[in-house]
Amino acid sequence: MNLKHALAGMAVVAATLTAPFSMAADKIRIATEGAYAPFNFIDESGELKGFDVDIAKALCEEMKADCTIVAQDWDGIIPGLMARKYDAIIASMSITPERSRVVDFTDPYYSNSLIFVAPKKSKFSPEKVEGKAIGAQRATIAGQYLEDNLGDKVSVKLYDTQDNAYLDLASGRLDAIVSDQLPAYDWLRSDEGQAFEFKGEKVDIDDKIGIAVRKNDKLRQKMNKALKAILENGTYDRINAKYFPFSIY
Amino acid sequence: MDLQGFGHLLISGAWVTLQLALCSLAVGLIFGLLGASAKVSSSRILRAIGNGYTLFVRGMPELLLVLTIFFGASAVLMGIASQFGYDEYIELSPFVAGVTALSIAFGAYATEVFRSALQEIPKGQKEAAVALGMTQFQTFKRVTLPQVWRIALPGLGNLFLVLLKDTALVSVIGLNELMRQAAVAVGYTKEPFTFYLAAACVYLLLTSISMAGLYYLERFANRGYQGARS
Repeated sequence: MNLKHALAGMAVVAATLTAPFSMAADKIRIATEGAYAPFNFIDESGELKGFDVDIAKALCEEMKADCTIVAQDWDGIIPGLMARKYDAIIASMSITPERSRVVDFTDPYYSNSLIFVAPKKSKFSPEKVEGKAIGAQRATIAGQYLEDNLGDKVSVKLYDTQDNAYLDLASGRLDAIVSDQLPAYDWLRSDEGQAFEFKGEKVDIDDKIGIAVRKNDKLRQKMNKALKAILENGTYDRINAKYFPFSIY
Repeated sequence: MDLQGFGHLLISGAWVTLQLALCSLAVGLIFGLLGASAKVSSSRILRAIGNGYTLFVRGMPELLLVLTIFFGASAVLMGIASQFGYDEYIELSPFVAGVTALSIAFGAYATEVFRSALQEIPKGQKEAAVALGMTQFQTFKRVTLPQVWRIALPGLGNLFLVLLKDTALVSVIGLNELMRQAAVAVGYTKEPFTFYLAAACVYLLLTSISMAGLYYLERFANRGYQGARS
C-alpha cells in the first residue's frame, strides 16, 4: 500500500510538470504579503484583502488578464519573483536602488514617508533617541533607515512582520517604532493603537511605492499602461477613498 | 476564548497538518526501512549510503531541510527542465516539498529505530528461513518484518509525535497548516495569546488521539507476548 501511495505521489508530481499551454487571456500571478494592513491583509474569511489587492484586481481588469493573487512572506518575496513563482509583486514595496538592481519597477502607485510611533504618554522624541529600543520591520526602508541613521545610537530591533513590531510596541518591549506612515495611520485608528501616536515630523525620503516585476519583463509596460488608465478613469480614486480620507498618490 | 471568526481557518489548518503528518509518515517509514536494511546489509556500499543518509540528515536542523528542499528542489527541477527547452515555472507545491523534507527527516531517525529492532531478531531465525529455501526478500517480508514492527513501535510512535509538531516548520514555506493560520489570525486580530493557545490545544488534541492510537497498536502488536491476565 505504501508503494502504491508512493507511485501515485510520483504521478502527481509528474502531472504538475505539464503546463497548460493556453495563449488566450494572459495569466498573471501576483504576490502580496498579507500582513500589512490596510494595504494587504488576510481577514477571517481567509482571503487576501486590502488596497494593494484592490489595485491588483483593478489593473488586471484593465489589462483583461486572468490574475491569481497569492500570499508570500516578505523575506522570500523577491526570491520568489526571481524563481518565477509569480510574475509581479504588489505588496507596498518601495522603489529603492538596491531592489532596482535585481527587479524592474513600474511607475509608482502611491507615495510614502516614514514616521516614529510611540505611546501617547511617553516623551519620546526623534531628536533624543540615545539608548532607546526602537523597532521596525526587517528588509524594509524603515528598517534600513533605522540601521543606517540610528544604528549606533539606539538598540535596533527588527521583526519579520510589521504586525510583530506593533505587538512589541503595544506590550512595552519597545520605546518606539519606525514605520511607513500610512499603515501606522491605520493602526493608530484600531483598538490596540489608541494609546499611541505619531512623534515628531514625518521623515520625508521621497519614497515611492511601485510594482516589482522581473528584469526586462514586458509585463512592466502593460502594467504602466493599465495604471495610467485607472488613474485617469477614477478607479484609483475610488479605491483610495475606501481606505484613506486623503489621496495617497 | 473568542476566535473572532478565525475558527474555521484553524480547523482547515489542522486538517492540512494531519494530512501532512500522515503522508510524511507513510513515505518516511519507507525511507526508514530502506535505510535500516542498508545499514545492516553485508554490502559495504549500501552500509556507506545508509550511514551517510543518517549522518547528514540528522546533522541538520529540520527547518534547514525544509527550506533547502523547497528552494533547492524547484531550482534543480527547473534547471533540468530548461535543458530540455522548457523555461516556464514548475510548480513545486509547499505540500509536496513539506512531505519530502519531513519524510526524509523522519526516515533518518526511523532508520536508527528500525536498525535496533532488526538487530533484536535472533540470527537463528534468518538462518532457519534460508535453510527452508526462502530468498532474502521472502525472509525479510515473512519472518523479520512482522517482528520488527512490534519492537520498533514505541520508538516510531515517539517519532510520529515529533513529526506531528514538526509540521509547524512547513509554515515557513507558505503551506496553510495550523501554525500559519494561527499566525495569520494573530496578525489580523493582534491577539497572540488567544490564537497560539488555541493552536496549542489543537496540537494537544491531535497528539492525544495519536497516543491513544499508539496504545492500541502496541497492545495489538504485543498480543502474543502478554502474560495471562486474570
